[in-house]
Amino acid sequence: MALSTPEAVDTAPAKSDVIASHTRRWALGFVALAIVVWLFYTFALPNLGTGPQTFVREWMPLGSLNEALVWVICAVGLNIVVGYAGLLDLGFVAFWAIGGYTAGWFMSTFFNQISNGFYFLSAAPPNQPGIHLNFWLVLVIAGCICAGAGIIIGAPTLRLKSDYLALVTLGFGEIIPQVFLNGENVHGFNLTNGAKGIAPLDNISPLPFGPATVSIGNAQIAISKPLGPFDVTAKYVIFVLVAAFCVFVSLRIREGRLGRAWLAIREDELAASMMGVPLMRSKLAAYAVGAFMGGLGGVVYAVHNNSVFPDRFNFAISIILLAMVVLGGMGNVWGVIVGALGLAWFNSTGLPQFGDSFNQQFGTDINFPSYNYLLFGSILVLMMLFRREGLFPETRTRQVLQEAERSDAEELDGGEA
Amino acid sequence: MRNAYKIGALAIAGSLALAACGSSSSSGSSTGGGGGGKTVVISTDLPLQGSSKDASDATNQAIELYLSQIGNKVGDYTIELKKYDDSTAAAGKWDQAQCTKNATDHVANTAEVAVMGTYNSGCAKIIVPVLNQDPSGPMLMVSQANTNPGLTKAWDPGEPDKYYPTGKRNYARVVTTDDNQGRAAAQFMAKDLGVKKCYILNDNETYGQGVAAAFATEAPKDGITILGNDPWDGKQPNYTALFQKIKGLGADCIYLGGIFDNNGGQLIKDKVAVMGDNTAVKLMGPDGFTGYPELNKLPEGQGMYLSFPGLTNDDLRAQGGAAAKLLDAYKAKYGSDPASSYALYGVAAVQVILQAIKQSDGTRKSVTDQVFTGSGITIPADVSAIGKEIKIDPKTGDVNLLDMTIEVIKGNAETTLKGWPITA
Repeated sequence: MALSTPEAVDTAPAKSDVIASHTRRWALGFVALAIVVWLFYTFALPNLGTGPQTFVREWMPLGSLNEALVWVICAVGLNIVVGYAGLLDLGFVAFWAIGGYTAGWFMSTFFNQISNGFYFLSAAPPNQPGIHLNFWLVLVIAGCICAGAGIIIGAPTLRLKSDYLALVTLGFGEIIPQVFLNGENVHGFNLTNGAKGIAPLDNISPLPFGPATVSIGNAQIAISKPLGPFDVTAKYVIFVLVAAFCVFVSLRIREGRLGRAWLAIREDELAASMMGVPLMRSKLAAYAVGAFMGGLGGVVYAVHNNSVFPDRFNFAISIILLAMVVLGGMGNVWGVIVGALGLAWFNSTGLPQFGDSFNQQFGTDINFPSYNYLLFGSILVLMMLFRREGLFPETRTRQVLQEAERSDAEELDGGEA
Repeated sequence: MRNAYKIGALAIAGSLALAACGSSSSSGSSTGGGGGGKTVVISTDLPLQGSSKDASDATNQAIELYLSQIGNKVGDYTIELKKYDDSTAAAGKWDQAQCTKNATDHVANTAEVAVMGTYNSGCAKIIVPVLNQDPSGPMLMVSQANTNPGLTKAWDPGEPDKYYPTGKRNYARVVTTDDNQGRAAAQFMAKDLGVKKCYILNDNETYGQGVAAAFATEAPKDGITILGNDPWDGKQPNYTALFQKIKGLGADCIYLGGIFDNNGGQLIKDKVAVMGDNTAVKLMGPDGFTGYPELNKLPEGQGMYLSFPGLTNDDLRAQGGAAAKLLDAYKAKYGSDPASSYALYGVAAVQVILQAIKQSDGTRKSVTDQVFTGSGITIPADVSAIGKEIKIDPKTGDVNLLDMTIEVIKGNAETTLKGWPITA
């Protein structure tokens, strides 16, 4: 302790300027990469021959990139809870589900009790039953509902630590999808449509404001085309924007008062509270902000799939999300993004495609996707053995982990070193 | 730093400019889909993993056999078959996310003009709206096995219109629907088996709930008391408690509305363990329990009654004609009859698609139009894979066939018991 404290004190202020410009450069990198990818799929790919086209369609379809972005949004959200504030959350899927169902409720014909439909700046065709709100509004609503849910789950866990906290969040993550699965008949009211889920959802309008067409008198003026299931490129742009928002919030909030409070709680809760960090408020804020992003992820996922089903929101999602955060580097937003993109791609496209190629090459019939979790588990075990801090760790985490190792050794050697 | 900001600003401005161009150009290029060349691709979309694997493989094999018999040609077109899998190893059955992915893949594959499938109604309800909104379509889908009524006619609120956002139809099927199937099952149980008190279990899926509801509506009219209609959870390890409860109510028959994939094996084992074998307390299931060799070999499954909304392999062979010839060719090539009676219905669905392609100009829109305009598609009895004239109603996409067969599992095989006449 005595050794590390002065170090932290004199590095922190000197580096703050460097760190700030560093993160900005990263942000530019994010935007540039997103644009390059978009340019590639929109302009370069159609002009390439069938060979490269097939290759890209098989190995890297834009659809699976979009799905990976959903994971990124949620992983960045989970990173706030786990990576920043150090609160182990095993039930993040609950927020994903709540966000998804919010989209289902407010962007479909599901509530057919409203026979003429309630429309608000929606791109959905007129005179359909149900509630049809604008996609961007639904994003905000879902975020807020999830933030509220985050506070509700956060409140009773404030007095819990480590394993006990994990158990309560685990329970929450199990309960919420069950509620959606069994919510077909809540005292006669169909809340979730049970296992049949809610499908299809409204086509969304790409512009943050207003519907696809505006009617003035009898004339219909088209502003933008509503995005159907095939406008993958336009959805990519929207998903990147949402992800960029989450990344931006994560980075900025970390530099601020709240972010520093979270890091302090993560490092040493007792010391932080002694120094005047409001534990309750900070922890609840972490849950709320993380859940907000989970809600955004849920809406985006529902739009990506054009449907919501309770089956999809299983425990595995919470674990995979956690693995993304840990694998990428807890606390470091960029590491988490790399972890999320990598694992999501591996899950949805990489492994099945590798399996297909392998089986074709060697004439075997091995079902590679079924070994998914075996590979997954092995990678995590190896990571824990050789690179505990993740692929792209936060500088702080690395220091802490290395320091802990050193002090263990010191204790064992009895001060010989 | 200043430079970095400039680059960023430029990049954003550039991307916005390109976005403006991009959106206008993408709307123009969408007309290219659908092909128009001499080779067109049709696809099947079936669950190739889990318990339904045998039935799906048999359907694919029968279709491949049929296509090779006609030399992969229809009219001026050469036909290629592409097989999609709508199940995942993790789920062990059809998977909603996989259906969503397949739907966009069908549309993305520009050479593909029509889809044969799906096996599960729930999956069809995901895919049909997507194909319906295909900018170069709508794209045609013809199912050999979807029996949920809501896909084509008024059933649940909002159905069937919500599956056709463009207002045009693009979905047809060659089997009859569950309102008929549930009715036939209830009539059979009342008249032939003489049961009085039934308990219904459903698997909570679109199809299972639908057929269970149809059974529950008809049964009281035939003098059967419905003691309850509860979902069974396919993930539960055992159902002993559930059947204890039903036993306490004094049920003399159980109707399983659902698919075998949803842990049906365990369900039937526990039913027999708690309530006795299927002669004591009758057990009946819909077509979601047909075509599973695993079930037929199950000792507890013996004596279970099944309904099949069509003609079974036995019937088709007895009937003779094109269907019997195809069955014989299948047996000669693969060593046994198809695992599911739906295999030949798969061929029939392909025949409808091929006829539509033959009459069309080779684009998706034109193929769909052949089925849903004018007098629609008719396959004459002498070539039909099910030995009867197939006529698709151009207004709804429903078929004229109203066959219903009652089967019983006996000697480790599905055996045809009798046909059950239904009236529309």
